[in-house]
Amino acid sequence: MRTSRTLGLVMIAPAAIMILLFYLMPVILTGVFSMTNMSTATGISGGAFQVTQGAVNRLRTEMPEIADAISEPRFVIDEAGIAAVEAAGLASAIAAELRTEHLGEVHASRREAERMIKALKERPSTRQTKQISDFFNRSVINTRFESREALMEGLKKLGVTLTPEQQEAMARATYTGWVWTTDNFRVIGNSPDMAQVFVNTAFYVAVTLLLFNVGYALFLAVTTHYMPATTASIFRAIWLLPRITPVVIYVLMWKWLTWDSGFISMFMGQFGHPPKNYLLDSAYNAWFFVILINGFIGASMGMLVFSSAIKAIPEAQFHASEVDGASRWQQIRYIILPQLRWPILFVTCYQTLSLLASFNEILLSTRGGPGRATEVWSLAAYHTALQNYTGNLEYGLGAAMALVLVVIGVILSLIYLRVFRYDTLISKPLIED
Amino acid sequence: MRILLEKFSKSFGSTKVIEDMDLDVGSGEMLALLGPSGCGKSTTLFSICGIHRPTSGRILFGNKDVTDLPSQERNVGVVFQSYALYPHMTAAENIGFPLTVRRVATAEIRKRVAEIAALVHIDNLLDRRPSQLSGGQQQRVALARALIRRPDVLLLDEPLANLDAKLRLEMRSEIRRLQKETGITAILVTHDQVEAMSMCDRIAIMKAGEIVQIATPSEMYNDPRTAFVAGFLGNPPISFLKGTAEQGEFVLGDGSIRLPLAALSGMPDGTPLMLGVRPEHFGNGGDVPVTGRISFAETQGRENLYDVMFADGSVLRSIQPVRGDLKPGDDVRWNLDSKAAFVFAEDGRRL
Repeated sequence: MRTSRTLGLVMIAPAAIMILLFYLMPVILTGVFSMTNMSTATGISGGAFQVTQGAVNRLRTEMPEIADAISEPRFVIDEAGIAAVEAAGLASAIAAELRTEHLGEVHASRREAERMIKALKERPSTRQTKQISDFFNRSVINTRFESREALMEGLKKLGVTLTPEQQEAMARATYTGWVWTTDNFRVIGNSPDMAQVFVNTAFYVAVTLLLFNVGYALFLAVTTHYMPATTASIFRAIWLLPRITPVVIYVLMWKWLTWDSGFISMFMGQFGHPPKNYLLDSAYNAWFFVILINGFIGASMGMLVFSSAIKAIPEAQFHASEVDGASRWQQIRYIILPQLRWPILFVTCYQTLSLLASFNEILLSTRGGPGRATEVWSLAAYHTALQNYTGNLEYGLGAAMALVLVVIGVILSLIYLRVFRYDTLISKPLIED
Repeated sequence: MRILLEKFSKSFGSTKVIEDMDLDVGSGEMLALLGPSGCGKSTTLFSICGIHRPTSGRILFGNKDVTDLPSQERNVGVVFQSYALYPHMTAAENIGFPLTVRRVATAEIRKRVAEIAALVHIDNLLDRRPSQLSGGQQQRVALARALIRRPDVLLLDEPLANLDAKLRLEMRSEIRRLQKETGITAILVTHDQVEAMSMCDRIAIMKAGEIVQIATPSEMYNDPRTAFVAGFLGNPPISFLKGTAEQGEFVLGDGSIRLPLAALSGMPDGTPLMLGVRPEHFGNGGDVPVTGRISFAETQGRENLYDVMFADGSVLRSIQPVRGDLKPGDDVRWNLDSKAAFVFAEDGRRL
């Protein structure tokens, strides 16, 4: 018993590892990334501390004086600076005078420091003055510190001392690496752009699903059912072609059709219409073609599922309904459709999820254009995380968007199960003899 | 309503299933189409209800030619072998379906479903789906659905084939009762001779797409036209002996048995013959004693069934009231009722 249980675990181990690596990890990682602000700017490994203008702005609300203090350049006459002056090969009297007369002075601005340097007995030239003042520049603004300690050290040299809380705030504001945050979801919830993308997605999924993946597929399945077998298989094969054609080529053909030198333009040219890009001409056109492209590809699966489900209905039921007086339409309505409930549920569920998640046809055809008219959620996530026009790829935000998609998918599936009364589909029969 | 088939033929592609069949079923009559699998009986039934279109010939209901009418317009009720109930509808919805598609008012449908359900004794099961009904209950639902719109013709395609033995017995009399009560013209397709004999007014026995004989069950049993008919009716079945005619006598292959038979007078000597003897006409009195050895014995409770083998290896079956004195291997000398024996020519024709 023990042996067989161990053996079972050993046998299942490869599958378990595969499941962990390729099924669970992507989702878990998406979840992890979604709780960070990772982007090109932060990198995905650790970061450094840098007092940027942005960091100063963030600090200003919390501790205005300190923010002001660190944002100003500081010039401190110290041994390190003097040593640098000596090493620079300038007149040694300069360094000596600085050490004896000015050691320890702090000047609040470059102008102040340079006035002092100009007033030295050696009378350095303007160019030398600038060179010397640079040696004493101890500003933290735009300086990069590799660690938090280094940052605090730098601030101390500057003459800024901070309480532990202030140090914490300072570190947070100046950190350039990624941090844990829930801001992504706040952004998703509040941004009007996101709302528009959400509406686009709902429109795209609902229309494609209803008109094509379920509607058109049902139409094809039912019509082929009433055709002679050979004709029906020929038609089914034809309707499978968009699915079989590589998507890049299939979309390219649509582009040929709609380009300003394409078929539609040429055809409309016959009637005096100037050529234009019908695909990206307007949001309506873009949606029209995006839905057609996806619909024709997506309908084939529903057609196959529905066709085989109709085939599975015993022929006697069709005979019986004919004898009972049912017309074709009544046969479809009373005999076929009710028995397709489960296949329709399956196709609706499956295609909703795949429409939500897939964007390759849209990416290849309109790229979400014109403007962002046909930008759907998954495409927006892709653009945010992987293909950003501005160059700052926001992995964290993209992951959060993907996570939202997963949640929406799960919720929709549950609603479908409810609507199609899945529980009655799998209910136990009460046979008694 | 009378059903008339005139020169009815049906082929599928190049396969001819039925050729030039004539059939006349009287109004209110119940007729059995009896035959082995593949004899064309179901094809005939499906053609009558319009699922198949005849290749040639005419089908008439009363005086109305329905040959080219689709099933929807023929007003026939059909009970299919698999019952063909719609699994997603309740029993009531199944029964009411023929009225639903005719857009009869809901209240009216409910009333008529209740009536017909009472007739077939399923009034307490109307809310169940077919999967929640037993075979016999499904059968009754199918019957009710066939009867609800008062069809001119009721067609039954092997309706009892899927039931267990006890239910089959019950439904046999049930269907006959309903047919008599409604006075409907009915055709029953079956390969079970007991069903055909017990339920129907007349039997049309079919072989290879042709009707071999039409008669009442007792006529057919007592006066079969061919060896095929004789072999098809009767349980346990009739047994055949092969022999020749010789001076007005039937002589078994090796000459060990000679039977004087009136039917053979004037027949040339040496004509090959087949003699059919039903089990009840051997060993239960009779005029010609024959000797053989019991090769098989089986008790059926009230009766015993014996196979008696003769010297040349041919076998006669005998059914007798139970007796305990015989076992396989015993030699017996039993009488055969030569007047009840059927003589057939070599090709199966009755002489």
